[in-house]
Amino acid sequence: MSAVTASTTTTRTGLREGELRHRLYPIVMHAIMLTAVLLVTFPLIYAIILSTQSGALGSLRPGPALLDNVQRAWDSAKMGLLMRNTLIVALAVAIGKIILSLLGAFALIYFRVRFGGLIMALVMLTHLLPLPVRIVPTYELLTEFGWVDTFWGLTIPFFASATGLLLFQQFFRTVPTDLADAARVDGAGPFRFLVSILIPVSRTNIGALFLIEFVYMWNQYLWPLLVANSDSTRQVQIGIKQLVASDAVIEWGVVMAGSMMVIIPPLVVLLTLQRSLMTGLTGATEDL
Amino acid sequence: MNIVFPNRILPYLLLAPSILLVLIFFLYPAVQSVDLSLYLVNRVRDVKVYVGMENFQRLFESDAYLNSLQVTGLFTLTVVVSALVISLALAVGASQPIRGFGVYRTLLIWTYALSPAIAGVIWALLTDPAIGVLTEVLESFGIAFNWRRSNTDALLFVAMAATWKILGYDILFFLAGLKNIPRDVLEAAAIDGAGAWLRFRRMVLPLLRPTILFLVIMNTLYASFETFGLIDITTQGGPGRATDLLIYRLYLDGFRSSSRIGLASAQSIVLLLMVATLTIIQYRFISRRTFYQ
Amino acid sequence: MSKVVRRMLVTALLVVVALSLAAPSLSVTAQDEPVTINFWHAMSGSRGEVVQAQVDEFNAANPDINVVAEFSGSYAETLTKALAAYSAGEAPDIVQVYEVGTRTMLDSGAIVPVMEVSGGELDQSQFVRPILNYYAIDDELRCMPFNSSTAMLYYNKDLFEAAGLDPEQPPQTFSEVFEMGRQIVDSGAAPYAISFGWPAWILEQMFGMHDQLLADADGGRTGLASEIYFNSEFGVQVLTEWQRWADEGLLFYGGREYSANDPFIAGEFAMLAQSTSSLGGIENAVEFELGTAFLPALDGYERTGNNVVGGGCLWTMAGQTEEEYDAVWRFYQFLSQTDQSVFWHKETGYFPATNAAVDALEEEGWFDENPNFRTAFDQILAGNDTVASRGVLLGDFVIIRDIVGAAIEDAVVNGVDPQEALDAAVEESNQVLEDYAALAG
Repeated sequence: MSAVTASTTTTRTGLREGELRHRLYPIVMHAIMLTAVLLVTFPLIYAIILSTQSGALGSLRPGPALLDNVQRAWDSAKMGLLMRNTLIVALAVAIGKIILSLLGAFALIYFRVRFGGLIMALVMLTHLLPLPVRIVPTYELLTEFGWVDTFWGLTIPFFASATGLLLFQQFFRTVPTDLADAARVDGAGPFRFLVSILIPVSRTNIGALFLIEFVYMWNQYLWPLLVANSDSTRQVQIGIKQLVASDAVIEWGVVMAGSMMVIIPPLVVLLTLQRSLMTGLTGATEDL
Repeated sequence: MNIVFPNRILPYLLLAPSILLVLIFFLYPAVQSVDLSLYLVNRVRDVKVYVGMENFQRLFESDAYLNSLQVTGLFTLTVVVSALVISLALAVGASQPIRGFGVYRTLLIWTYALSPAIAGVIWALLTDPAIGVLTEVLESFGIAFNWRRSNTDALLFVAMAATWKILGYDILFFLAGLKNIPRDVLEAAAIDGAGAWLRFRRMVLPLLRPTILFLVIMNTLYASFETFGLIDITTQGGPGRATDLLIYRLYLDGFRSSSRIGLASAQSIVLLLMVATLTIIQYRFISRRTFYQ
Repeated sequence: MSKVVRRMLVTALLVVVALSLAAPSLSVTAQDEPVTINFWHAMSGSRGEVVQAQVDEFNAANPDINVVAEFSGSYAETLTKALAAYSAGEAPDIVQVYEVGTRTMLDSGAIVPVMEVSGGELDQSQFVRPILNYYAIDDELRCMPFNSSTAMLYYNKDLFEAAGLDPEQPPQTFSEVFEMGRQIVDSGAAPYAISFGWPAWILEQMFGMHDQLLADADGGRTGLASEIYFNSEFGVQVLTEWQRWADEGLLFYGGREYSANDPFIAGEFAMLAQSTSSLGGIENAVEFELGTAFLPALDGYERTGNNVVGGGCLWTMAGQTEEEYDAVWRFYQFLSQTDQSVFWHKETGYFPATNAAVDALEEEGWFDENPNFRTAFDQILAGNDTVASRGVLLGDFVIIRDIVGAAIEDAVVNGVDPQEALDAAVEESNQVLEDYAALAG
């Protein structure tokens, strides 16, 4: 079933039931959805209000301490540095995964690969083995590599991706073969074809994968808790934990200000790329 | 097939990094997990004593572990069911072909950007026993809610925070799924009051079935593994062991002790079996679907 | 869309570059290559800033040494990480470990006793007795005392007055806590009467101050403990009392660490048993008149022991060069200087570790002006030095404290019978001790 083609043969059964209902319907729906959005967003609004307060919290009236709280989160948990660290990790993993899965899918679809099925099965194994089922030995491995408290340790174990490989493989199958044939006739090598034709037509999928991986890495908690020992590699989520566990008296205003800061980058990525994800997903759903 | 390029070696070179990473960081540690689960291990002093299946036996005789299994099951079920029901309702609502509804689609998916840890902190404040706004609201209805003092409330609290965070993700996928459904089906289903539910069940739900199955699996994995940060930053498994999820137990035994690494590895193997079951179900029902983290 | 993607990536990269440039450079302009000493600690927030200030002062005065202080996570995380780093050959030179990790550090084979680091120069008698007692094994200090604390009772004098109680007469026994608590709640002065921070630790404190032994092998001080006594008649009685407070609606259960501080400050209850190290933070935050007192004693038992010392100690990791040990020792000496010890105490509320610092504080009238800071001190010096009150040393204590913490919650929150809850916890903990002993080599 196609995603985009909205049906043109509309059967307006609803109209016959009553003009009034049809008129009222959008208004009622708007009211319902508005309420729903407010309910879902309320915790965030509350958090934003709290981030402007200092001392005793709990009221719903914004206070004057926002800048002060931001400043203190920035200083005492070194949020600036932590955001930088997390940005490095999230970008490295998102981009690394995209490149590796593009190359892998390219190899599997456009070349003759013996044992291609076996290789695919191997990569699919990663689905069976999320981090928790191998966390102790993986950490030991990092210790052996000397990768504890390094960006290598925070990123490399995440590079392999069955998700990406499958996504691109599926997509490449839908790319017309004559595009590649034409490229070959023109004398373009495989990399020329990959870079100048395949990647541009895959941009929606690339955007979708980037969004998923960026948000996933940005929100990592357990692995950075184990791997990062110092400010130079510590990740933002642990910074929030640090603010909460900080000191004898928890400054909730500061914690909230820090949290709001941390939400911004993944939110920006989400809002920028949500259309890619939607289209990418819609495309993927067709295969079901 | 699309095979066009004749190179013999190049494809293997392109695949090599992925294969190597899978072997080094997935397969090898998984095998190691199995091996370690048969030993008592002290990481610091590098001592290993072979104990066979004793770690597994001990696990299933331990009240703490059995409790974690139960708590995780209950928590996961609550999160998956409530997240799917709420997000499906919201997604169907936001998909109505009404002018201006595009904005709801954006406003409803943003919790996707949140981390479970931050969701936890926000809900901890909302429901704080002393200063929480939600606590006060509940109090005015005569409901005493205190997640530090009640097992049920604690589990409810973490489930609410976890559900809230995953709503955005689920809504996003439902919206994508609903895009495949012709506008008039949706519209007609909604306007036609009496028959709405029937139409929804007969026409919309079957089309969304793959999306629902996919989300059930993803939300189950999310609830059982990704909520570690939420637990660690709020209840730390308490009160008592009311929110002591399997993943949290695994962390405590594997990384807070020096002599329970074997026991932690045995827990990893149990988790592996659970994930395997889920994956098989997934392949049975939704063959070619990819995973999204 | 691809344009959008590209623009986004470029923006993101620019942000990375900008942030990298803005982030303070860690490199030191080294002319004659100072010795670098890595110091991992668990002091976040304002305490972390105090540590950093001390380190900065030391570095400025000692250009040939560069101490790099690094916050490495909570106490439990820091312990795990330091030992893992040692296995990987990347251990820091100094690591701050809380009292719970003492046995693990001793048995790890990863440390050098502080006496050895000092080349025998360390004068143990300079330290306040209970602190020395906790960290000395066979009368020899193994680590450098740094941030020591104990638990005491904080109370809200305004609420006492509102309840018609004498604000200068805090409760001294459990039964007084109960009676006064009743009056506080019944009079409507506050919704609850009392709460704890670190409940499992408070229970350990109870054992120490009533001279009750917590484990065999002299509390793990003359060998590896194989059995703990939390479920003794005494332990069960304490927990039964706590459960009664909870059942009567007097106890506000406030979590396992510092979460009870905020509601105490907000006046949700009138009494708080909490680490003395929270004093600075609480004093700054409260708008009522704050009182402090000794932890109340259990009726029917004599308060003969000391309050057990908790907090952190600095351990020196093995495998460093002579030059580094020398630098570490100079840093330790600096930290135990009277002015540093006094500064540390005033800024954080932790005990000044040395007798000289106590005298100095006394002399300048600090304790007279700040009687709340005196309470903690008087308390650890009030009892007798007994085997039980030196504090227990247990293998994998981190896990055991978690087990006991859960048992306390089971009794106080979930109404589980205290004897049953503690029996189960002891059984589980003894298993941990058995595993630990099996691997102790």
